Amino acid sequence: MTHTLHRVGSEENLREDFVVLAMPSKDINHVGSGPKLQEIIRICLREGAVKAGDARLGNEYHQGGLEKMIANIEDRAVVTAVFNDEGKLVKALKAIKAGDFGMSIVVSGLFDRVRECCHAAGQKVHTVNTSLGRWGATHKLPAPEIMEIQSMCGHGMVSVNLIMDTLEEVKAGKMSLAEASERLFRPCQCGIFNPERAQKLMAALK
Amino acid sequence: MQIDPELCIGCGQCVPYCPVGAISLGDSAAIDLDECAECGCCLRCADCPVEAIYQQEMEYPRTVRSILSDPLTIATESGISGRGTEEMKTNEVTARFKEGQVGVGIEVGRPVSGARFKDVEKIAQAMAAFGVEFEVCNPTTSLMSDPATGKFKDELLNEKVLSAILEFSVPQETLPEVLGALKAVAGKVDSVFTVCVACKADANEGIASYPYLDKAGVWYAPNGKTNVGLGRPLAKEA
Repeated sequence: MTHTLHRVGSEENLREDFVVLAMPSKDINHVGSGPKLQEIIRICLREGAVKAGDARLGNEYHQGGLEKMIANIEDRAVVTAVFNDEGKLVKALKAIKAGDFGMSIVVSGLFDRVRECCHAAGQKVHTVNTSLGRWGATHKLPAPEIMEIQSMCGHGMVSVNLIMDTLEEVKAGKMSLAEASERLFRPCQCGIFNPERAQKLMAALK
Repeated sequence: MQIDPELCIGCGQCVPYCPVGAISLGDSAAIDLDECAECGCCLRCADCPVEAIYQQEMEYPRTVRSILSDPLTIATESGISGRGTEEMKTNEVTARFKEGQVGVGIEVGRPVSGARFKDVEKIAQAMAAFGVEFEVCNPTTSLMSDPATGKFKDELLNEKVLSAILEFSVPQETLPEVLGALKAVAGKVDSVFTVCVACKADANEGIASYPYLDKAGVWYAPNGKTNVGLGRPLAKEA
């Protein structure tokens, strides 16, 4: 466990990086969960999510577009939405709570900020998952500034080589930051890679 | 995954997409099958202009690579996509992690490098010495020949995956000792791995695991995952 954990960054840039994950639990509340998860994603997008994803069937690129992705969300899906703003996150949490969907909601981000957002939405922290970082053959890790980008896809689909290649394209003026961040988002099948944060991180490396 | 050398035009477009650097470029691109983790990333994302990348037929034990590397593969054990389980994500309805218990997740191969099962086994055996029960819903557990000892099936030991997750729970008091053993085995593996701990917050939103992490002398991140308790029906803890 788990793909939205272990995001690397400074406190400053992590303040613009939150992932909302929604899912049912097998044999408890998964029957009929698909339409509820669809509505949760629509709420997140309406409230200003940067990206949304479906970890079960793949991201918007893999499914041929955002609307198709949402339409294909099925029972037992695990859906995600990325936010870069606390205010928008709070609005989404409030709307999800008001919808009384009964789906489990997990928010990844700075613990103190997420706790504040929970309180603002009328919720309390139930369970936390804490990263103890990277152990073992850590000499194989890329530079910290590359890890900040790479760790936004917890399944490791955004390769270090792709990040380096993309940075070279940007530096050479062959690709805009917006194009570069979408190129990096695309392999992240769960849709939890934050392209807006990636743009800022890459801009600092230009 | 393989690349048809008759079709490949040697443009190199696929090379950077591979998370484990298994694609090399000569006159044409080629995939080192021993290094390839079968994640499917090149096939899905590299937009090969001549469609030279193709999924070859796989037989066990190679199929295990795809199960634990391709995030869109749905594992039979968990019923969900990805390599893990519901873990703390649904804890308010499952009560999987009760007060006094800490869930431990060790993802071997993450975030880069991937892992061979011989490394996963070393870590699993070090943890099994504490009598832990590996999570049965996790597909990695199903690959063990003896979960009580952390021994994996022999035919899997050289198989490479993007990552394999060891999941178990321990009483919170034992966490420093468990993490101490993990520190010891960390120097004996050729893989990088991530470690996480999950626990239920108390009535005042206090995190019971933190004093034990401090006692263990380990670093922990200021960011992580928070279950906000909206799932229903709420579990009734025994």
